[in-house]
Amino acid sequence: MALLLKTTRFIEAQIDTFLDVVSDSATAFQLAIQDYLAGRMQQFEERLAAIREYEHRADDLRVSIERFLYERTLIPENRGDVLALLENTDDVIDNIKDSLLQFSIETPQIPAELHDLWLQTTQASVAAVEQLVFAVRSFFRDLSAVNNYIHKVYFFEREADLMGEKLRRQIFALDIDLAMKSQLRYFAIHIEKISDAAQDTCDRLAIFTIKRQL
Amino acid sequence: MIFIYLLSGLYMGWSLGANTTGNVFGAAVETRMLKFKNAALIASIFITLGALLEGSGPTQTLGKLGSVDAIGGAFTVALAAALTITLIVRLGIPISTSQTIVGAIVGWNFFSGRLTDFRSLITIASSWVIAFVVSAAISALLFFMVKPWNNRSKRHLLEQDLMIRYGMVLAGAFGAYSLGANNIATVVGVFVPVSPFKDIAVGNLFRITGIQQLYLVGALSIVVGIYTYSHKVMRTVGKDIFQLSPLTALVALLAQAIVLFLFASKSLYNLLLKFHLPTIPLVPVSATQIIVGAVVGIGLATGGKNLRYNILAKISLAWILAPVLAFLLSYVALFITQNVFELQVQKETSYIFDQRTISKIQEEGYDIDALSTVNGRSFKTEDAVYQELIDQEKLSKEEILAIIALTEVHKMKVDVAKLKASNMHRAFSKKELAILKDFDGKEYRHKWQLREALSVYPEYALFPNVIKEIDKNHNRIVEDKLQILYRNFRIE
Repeated sequence: MALLLKTTRFIEAQIDTFLDVVSDSATAFQLAIQDYLAGRMQQFEERLAAIREYEHRADDLRVSIERFLYERTLIPENRGDVLALLENTDDVIDNIKDSLLQFSIETPQIPAELHDLWLQTTQASVAAVEQLVFAVRSFFRDLSAVNNYIHKVYFFEREADLMGEKLRRQIFALDIDLAMKSQLRYFAIHIEKISDAAQDTCDRLAIFTIKRQL
Repeated sequence: MIFIYLLSGLYMGWSLGANTTGNVFGAAVETRMLKFKNAALIASIFITLGALLEGSGPTQTLGKLGSVDAIGGAFTVALAAALTITLIVRLGIPISTSQTIVGAIVGWNFFSGRLTDFRSLITIASSWVIAFVVSAAISALLFFMVKPWNNRSKRHLLEQDLMIRYGMVLAGAFGAYSLGANNIATVVGVFVPVSPFKDIAVGNLFRITGIQQLYLVGALSIVVGIYTYSHKVMRTVGKDIFQLSPLTALVALLAQAIVLFLFASKSLYNLLLKFHLPTIPLVPVSATQIIVGAVVGIGLATGGKNLRYNILAKISLAWILAPVLAFLLSYVALFITQNVFELQVQKETSYIFDQRTISKIQEEGYDIDALSTVNGRSFKTEDAVYQELIDQEKLSKEEILAIIALTEVHKMKVDVAKLKASNMHRAFSKKELAILKDFDGKEYRHKWQLREALSVYPEYALFPNVIKEIDKNHNRIVEDKLQILYRNFRIE
């Protein structure tokens, strides 16, 4: 039983680290976008490298948690749900990395008049991810608080959609090449997708929470 | 020869291990919170401990089987009960061990012409229902208590899981311990007076008495039952009736342990008596009915939508079927044992209406005019006396039963050494044994004669016309002790 307590504490720490990594990735994403818009390309590339590192770390942590939960038959009733939750949360980091990677590959030219909206969309998406991290943490530690955070995630996802739509309208209202418009629209959608992934995870989290409640 | 007889007791132990242990740990194993091998190990250790440390409560549990007075009869009765359990467990249905034993004993009563005390039978049967309802109520109550703990807990999911596991191990061990203490007597209890084992002294450290060795053998047979067959029953309790979550499984286990404790703890009973509080009757309850009751309680507390009523109906049917089947098997098996194998299944007893018993009957205030047809006669069975007297319609059923008890010939010789040899002296205080010593060598023909002789001492005196619960308890304790004396001092 002492071994079980040690394992439990170890996995708890791993889950917390995993969620820290997700949260850090979201913050790094916002900073990377700010760098990109300000033209600090070297700093942008450094942030991308850090996010790649975060993604690997999150994958390793997730696999390790999975292995421990199954090998030690911990939380038999909830482990399927927990693993699905971690996998979905991991998808959010993948989205963040993919989005930045495209910036690095295509280096789209973003007109200055779009910067403000661009940042607002990014902030809303990042806020959704941060609230998602709070929600997932609460699922483990404070079940009664989960729904409050889920509510916030939905709020920021809608906000990101709204800003994203405004951004796309503004892109197509600009007097630039259609090819460039099309490229920018693609990047705007990419940012919205991050909050969509957070929302998808929340949809499942809401069900897992109901299942855990007596 | 005794070892061959012992086999049916061991078979009963195996059935108990397969069936009842499945009930204790079923929910924990089926929710995958405990591995089967761990649950089996905990159950084995604590059932054995319970049997060895507290299983010697012969005054209580032995009395249940005590009426079967010949070893051949005890062998057959235990065999019939064990066969019934095996048959029903094969269907994966949890059944009550105490029910099958009661059924088998009633079978013996019918076969040997003894009258079945329907009042105590009804008391036992109603305790099965009461325990079921109490268990359902306690588990529902516990459920409503743990609900906020679960829903508002600030503890990590994994730590909560660990606490539930600890709780399951503790509650399961407690349940297994009380099971061992209560049920070992039903396994090998009938063999106590004829135990073939001699006391073993391990240096000056400790002694293992012959009875403890017998209990150990019985406990080992339970352990074999756990490892070989209990897995199947676990599924029914843990999954089939109602899908339990780990926390609700813990609630069910806890409710079971509490109810077992409520109905089996003598110390709690005495404590309540001391404070003049209403007592809970100390009756042998079925662990099976209790756990099923607990699962149903949780099912109802969550709205009752997911309860599988068809499985419940199957279990309830088994509850009726089990005693009936045990009764029939016991009756047939006793017939075969007596007539084919020519073994004695009952002691020869007679009921004599001579001058001594008639004047005793008169002294007790019964109308002896009604006894004109039986005066001077001797009867072989209780049933024969009963039929003779009931036809006259002058005496009530209760009066006839009391008269039968007074006329029963039960030759006894007071022999304290014999009491010590069978280890039964542990049920008596030093003072009580000293009183018995004064009677050493004296012989009695009827039970009431010994009772009367001893009644001059307050330790053995029964209170007349008792109303208060505390006085009733005194009489119960004295009667239990007298029963031990009747059994142990009997001579042919």
